[in-house]
Amino acid sequence: MSELVAFDLVDHHGTPVTAETYRGRWLMVQFGFTACRVVCPRALAKLDAALDGLRARPVPLYVTVDPDRDSPDVLRTHLEAAHPRFTGLTGNPGQIERAKQAFQIFARRRPDAEDPDGYAVPHTAITHLVDPDGRRVAHWADTVPADRIAADLVARLAVADVSAAGSPPWGRSRRAGCRCR
Amino acid sequence: MPATTLDREQLGHLRHWDNLSRQQPNDWSLMQGKGYGQDDFGGYRFQLAYMLYGLALAHRHRLPAAPGLFQPMMQRLIAKLLLPEVWMYWRDVSRGGSVFNAHLADRLHEEWDPVVRDNIMYSAYVQSCALLHDHLFAADRYAAPGSLTFRHWSFFWGGAEKRFTYDRDSLNEHLYWQMVQNGYIGVACEPNCVFQICNQPAILGFRLHDLITGGDRATEVVAGYERAWADFGRLDDRGHYAMMVSEDSRAVRANDGPSPWVDAWCGALMNTWNRDFVREHYPRQVAAFLVPGTDGTLSVRSAPAREVMGQQVVSDTCDTGWVAAWASEMGDCTTLEGLLTHADRFMHPTWRDGGLFHPRNDTPADADGHRTEIEPMTGNVLLGYARLNVSDGLWGLYNRPWGPEHFTEPALTVVDRDVEVSRAEVVDGVLHARMRRIGEVPGEGTVTVGRVPDGARLVLDGTDIATTAGEVVVPVPTGPAVDLVLTP
Repeated sequence: MSELVAFDLVDHHGTPVTAETYRGRWLMVQFGFTACRVVCPRALAKLDAALDGLRARPVPLYVTVDPDRDSPDVLRTHLEAAHPRFTGLTGNPGQIERAKQAFQIFARRRPDAEDPDGYAVPHTAITHLVDPDGRRVAHWADTVPADRIAADLVARLAVADVSAAGSPPWGRSRRAGCRCR
Repeated sequence: MPATTLDREQLGHLRHWDNLSRQQPNDWSLMQGKGYGQDDFGGYRFQLAYMLYGLALAHRHRLPAAPGLFQPMMQRLIAKLLLPEVWMYWRDVSRGGSVFNAHLADRLHEEWDPVVRDNIMYSAYVQSCALLHDHLFAADRYAAPGSLTFRHWSFFWGGAEKRFTYDRDSLNEHLYWQMVQNGYIGVACEPNCVFQICNQPAILGFRLHDLITGGDRATEVVAGYERAWADFGRLDDRGHYAMMVSEDSRAVRANDGPSPWVDAWCGALMNTWNRDFVREHYPRQVAAFLVPGTDGTLSVRSAPAREVMGQQVVSDTCDTGWVAAWASEMGDCTTLEGLLTHADRFMHPTWRDGGLFHPRNDTPADADGHRTEIEPMTGNVLLGYARLNVSDGLWGLYNRPWGPEHFTEPALTVVDRDVEVSRAEVVDGVLHARMRRIGEVPGEGTVTVGRVPDGARLVLDGTDIATTAGEVVVPVPTGPAVDLVLTP
């Protein structure tokens, strides 16, 4: 798995972003939706824990699979309250579908009586790592614990750090319009 | 512990598989079933793959010290599995239009690459067979780029060559991501049709790939598969395995017949990772399909052929073979013996070139009502598979892999075609083999004992043979079987 990924979305500040926006930076990409009750809270908390102790961190992105409900404002409010490292990305259904295809994400709306709107969106809970060239280079299944993700990130980003001749991998090429932490 | 000396019938099935594996390219003699175009369950891909699975089981559980007997045969079967006649049905089937998904036909297109989308009923066999080979022989033959290449070119039509190159790793990766993208429900066979059965070989393949390369994808996929199928139920309302689910509508198709092959095939394979569940339901499920005969014989009652759109579905169900394979995996000796005795009595066991098979017979029953119908998949492959398997044989392949020490032990690393090996195992460091030279097929009549330690003592039929460290070529005398003992 080392394909270039392409996407064309809107971040939770309402700014259009593409894969090019983040070129030169490592990305940690998680798909989900803010009304998710179990999988996403667990995954985001785990990823927060994995990132906590790291000096070199990838840009954490949270891409919604529920664009009908997850507007930029909804995403921002949700993430700033609980997972402020993450930047939320959304878009219209076509944009989201293309992003899902790029990351080979499964998501499918189904009725859910416990949800106020009557539906949930079960989805792939795999976390992807995208390198500064925009290629998917690793992923972690939902079951992989935080410490192993952290160790993998240290190994990956430290190698990249050396190869970048001292330039920190998370800041080699900051682009205008990117507000990720 | 299973018996480690093969009997005459087991040896006959192994010889028949060896004979079939040696047929000329595109010679499918004795393997043609009722269905046209390799669409159905008796297709060459299934016969080739389950011969290879049977070889894997026999090597793992019966003759672990005879890699030289099994490895070349597996390689020949995989070479046949890659031949265009085996997979070219996909060019047509990929366009959809089956009765299940006629509504999708206008958005599907002809696809030549037989593994790139759907078609897990083929791709998972290529994946798992290649991985079985590399796992059982500590090899990397199918890790080489392009080692699993699908190629077709015709002088008469079609333009440029079609060539699709994969290897065990790229194919495994591709299937894994298809599984992920489908929410772990599985990958479709025909477009839109996700069969439980056909995703089990892929799971076995993921497990083997984990064993070879590290990682834990099989656990991840199984966990996802369990969650995904929890929405539908693995069993239908009557307690039989749900046959398939439609990808788009999420409609589950039950085992309506109920058809024996659905439960038997699914149960035998799912035993790899879901043994308690399979065993819990087996006794009730299998009882629905068995017809008692005289002297403890048993036959299998097939569901009537279905009629759809005014057409009778023509298909090799392979019911007898699949129930026998299932019973062997469950260790249900009474059922297995009953089925095999029936087959030997009413299904015309035939010996040819030292090999044993039951030839195709489309006649449903004899004058006394005994089932006589048998398909090539059953007669060539599955009855032999059932005879060679042991209780929890596939489970053992999945859960009790050989460790690295196995590949340091002395073994028969080369076996000439005309040598029959009925025993090959290492017990307390001593290699024991029993061999016979047969006259029905050509050959040089030797075996090579490999991984011989320095100073080892080799005795053949009571006579000492000089050894050197490494390997020793041993001539097998004509006549009765002889025993070989190598003591370190």
